[in-house]
Amino acid sequence: MSRAAALAGFRVTFSTMLRKPEVIGYPERKTPVFPRFRGRHRLWTHENGLEKCVGCSLCVAACPADCIRVVAEENTPERRVSAGERFAHIYEINMLRCIFCGYCELACPFDAITLEAEYEMSERERHAEIYTKEMLLAPHPKPVPVRAEEPDAE
Amino acid sequence: MSDYAPVNLSAPDQIEFELNRRRLAAPAGTMLVDAAYAHGVEVPVFCYEPRLGGPIGACRMCLVHVEGMRGLQTACSTQVQPDMVVRSDTDEVRDAHDGVLELLLANHPLDCPVCDKGGECPLQDRTFKFGPGKTQFVEHKRHFPKPLDLSSLIALDRERCITCFRCVRFSQEVAEDGHLIMRERGGDSEIATFTGDHYTGRFTGNVIDLCPVGALTSVPYRFVARPWDIKNTPSVCGHCPVGCNLELTEHEGHVARVTGRPNPNYSVEEGWLCDKARFAYPEDRAPDRVRQPLIRDAAATREVAIEEAVEAAALLLGRDGPHAFLLGPGATVEEGFLAQELASGPCRGALVAQLGLGDAPALAGLRAAPAAQLDDIDRADLVVLVGGDPANQQPVVELRIRKAVRGGGRLVSAGPRRHPLSGLGPSYITPPGRLLDGVRAAGPAFRAARRPLVLWDEADLAHEPAAAAELAGLLGATRGARQLELGADVNGAGLSALGIPGAADLVAALEQGTITTLLTIHAQPAESAGAARWAEALGRVGAVVALASHGGGIADSAAVVLPAATHREQEGVYVSMAKRAQRLRPGAAPPGGAAPGWELLIALAHRLGAAPAYRSPAATFAAAAAARPALAGLSYDVIGELGALLHAAPPATTNGAVGGGGADGTGLPLVTTLRIFGDAAAHRSDALSGVRQGAEVVLGAGEAERRGLAGAAQVRLQSPHGACTLPLRVDPRCPDGAVHATLGVPGAGVERLLAVDRSPVRVEVTAA
Repeated sequence: MSRAAALAGFRVTFSTMLRKPEVIGYPERKTPVFPRFRGRHRLWTHENGLEKCVGCSLCVAACPADCIRVVAEENTPERRVSAGERFAHIYEINMLRCIFCGYCELACPFDAITLEAEYEMSERERHAEIYTKEMLLAPHPKPVPVRAEEPDAE
Repeated sequence: MSDYAPVNLSAPDQIEFELNRRRLAAPAGTMLVDAAYAHGVEVPVFCYEPRLGGPIGACRMCLVHVEGMRGLQTACSTQVQPDMVVRSDTDEVRDAHDGVLELLLANHPLDCPVCDKGGECPLQDRTFKFGPGKTQFVEHKRHFPKPLDLSSLIALDRERCITCFRCVRFSQEVAEDGHLIMRERGGDSEIATFTGDHYTGRFTGNVIDLCPVGALTSVPYRFVARPWDIKNTPSVCGHCPVGCNLELTEHEGHVARVTGRPNPNYSVEEGWLCDKARFAYPEDRAPDRVRQPLIRDAAATREVAIEEAVEAAALLLGRDGPHAFLLGPGATVEEGFLAQELASGPCRGALVAQLGLGDAPALAGLRAAPAAQLDDIDRADLVVLVGGDPANQQPVVELRIRKAVRGGGRLVSAGPRRHPLSGLGPSYITPPGRLLDGVRAAGPAFRAARRPLVLWDEADLAHEPAAAAELAGLLGATRGARQLELGADVNGAGLSALGIPGAADLVAALEQGTITTLLTIHAQPAESAGAARWAEALGRVGAVVALASHGGGIADSAAVVLPAATHREQEGVYVSMAKRAQRLRPGAAPPGGAAPGWELLIALAHRLGAAPAYRSPAATFAAAAAARPALAGLSYDVIGELGALLHAAPPATTNGAVGGGGADGTGLPLVTTLRIFGDAAAHRSDALSGVRQGAEVVLGAGEAERRGLAGAAQVRLQSPHGACTLPLRVDPRCPDGAVHATLGVPGAGVERLLAVDRSPVRVEVTAA
């Protein structure tokens, strides 16, 4: 092998060696995800504090992984939780089963559930992977940045 | 619910007509919607419901094009005619469907996600199938306060109502209670009760099934489950001997709803259920439900594993006999047969008896007369009701009788008590023991009728041999006359078909103190007729093993309690009072450590060293059918969805006491009445808490006056068998010459007044 050929082979190596390394200091810094990334679920409330979810179980029907459980209850004048007649007394998602397909979001007639950018969902116990309504209503403790929408790629 | 009437396409005189360019045929008189549906063409309907009587054409959904007729016709109110040419697939018809649905939805709130009907809603389904998919209405919709309580069992949402009149027609024309009305007119129309009070009655829940939208929904089932979260299982009701076909809805491991079958059994309940059948299911999760096996000894009561409990029961039944097996009225044929097998195998010589009436010799002649099915009541021109109170004891029979009377039939009733059907025709109220007079009074009408049908009450006639013989004579002498027994016990006919006698001999044996171990199977002897004698007799038995689904009574004192499934949780066969064998199918698994009775009895047989060759209810029933002539030819497959009739008569049993002699004791003859919401099931079900009924003593005004009881609040009844104290109601319409007391109410104790064989008694009535 000639020397010239060897040097030509190392060209990429040398040029990369001199570049400033691109290291993202995960977990302190996170790569922004794409806007349509499907991560952890979030349940939403109206501006007046009432939950958007009415416990209709359509997400349960749509879920191909069967990972959502909803137990509905009736709103009373003393205890009004949602804007509709009923509310989700229990709303649980088993994150171990979830395949993040987003069908629940599509099925939801009230835009009460969306899939957000967050993806850090490791826990130390299996049962901790069943996320309750309270967890899903609160913002994720470890937010993930979202990229700006890319210019139309079509 | 099935919205279309069944059409017999193989009947003679079919009419040919053309539908959507197909040449079809249907019997004369068939409505176009039914004929089309029978041939696989769905013409959508909302108001049409053949079980509610004639069509009313209120919703305009079923418009079709009929050649030669101006404008579109409502197919629900148009009969097929020879060579009629009908189109349901033209653009004109599709436009009409779009328009009607758009109008029906103009004020409909479209709150399907929060509506209990959503997912199983005819309006939703037909809007998807036949609707326009968009609306031109931009105006605001009507708003009403919602939901309103139509009763403690039914919620009313007026916004969703499409004014189809189904519920109103049910109330006015089927149950004939007249409660529900359509108030106001036009756009202000709304469903209401006439008085503004709650809608009360024995059949109110049927309007939930009938409602084609979510306007009438079940309160106990409100927001419990969605249609995609549930599993529906066709089964049979276990609350009375009618054997109504129903559907059990399972959700998260328990029965969460009971509805009529979508394909009704027209020979039995025709799709109607009484409110007890529909709303008693919460008793499966009542606080007193036995969930774990128990072993009780002098020191304590322990919850144990099922193996340990079966072992303990086997030890008790493995001792030297004789033993005794007592089956409650709700025991299945399989459980009865397994008890008999234990008695002929490892527990040789054990007595097997049922708490029900068993075989009564006085009734043999009546039972031998040509038997009818429930749907024959519709076609009878005279219904003779002898004894009983079907409205409370066999509720759905009431609807059949009302239908017969609506159709021009006549009702003549004779019996010891006034009941809700007494007013439908001549009624002869006779004191107990004198039913013969009532039967004789009905005789002339009976002989004059062409298709008379006798409905006779098993419990009342068992002790009136003269009346039974007279009635049998009338039946024999009249061509075309038929009889239908109003049974007293849920599966009394099934246990009798196995040859299991009433409990007279068993209680006598218990009293002699010779029985080593008593095994009760769904039986509560101390809460049944002869309660006082049972309580005494149970004190003399060596040990009791109770196979029970609920605590209280014998389960609170038995040495071993085997937790059993209820009739909604197990497989088995019940034989209805019309001798129709029907299958129970488990709607859900029993809770905790409970298991089906057949499984526990087979496990017991294994422990006793006599393993049977069968391990499933189907195989057990097959063995029973092979061994008992009355069940010959039956199997689970033969019974199928709609049941099969028993053809052979049950074997005669030696059950000495039933049907002997006059009344015991002194004082007034006692007439016992049952109330539909007054039994243990209704009292356990929290859904029925708003309608459940208590016990009372009723005296006629004259009788109360004579005895100086007119002002008494409580009275004490004393019979030769026992005593009880109950509130008194003086009713001027109540016939004198007898005292009426409510049987079956838990804790009331009227059972203590009776003999074990339910023979007539007289009671002394005193102020308490």
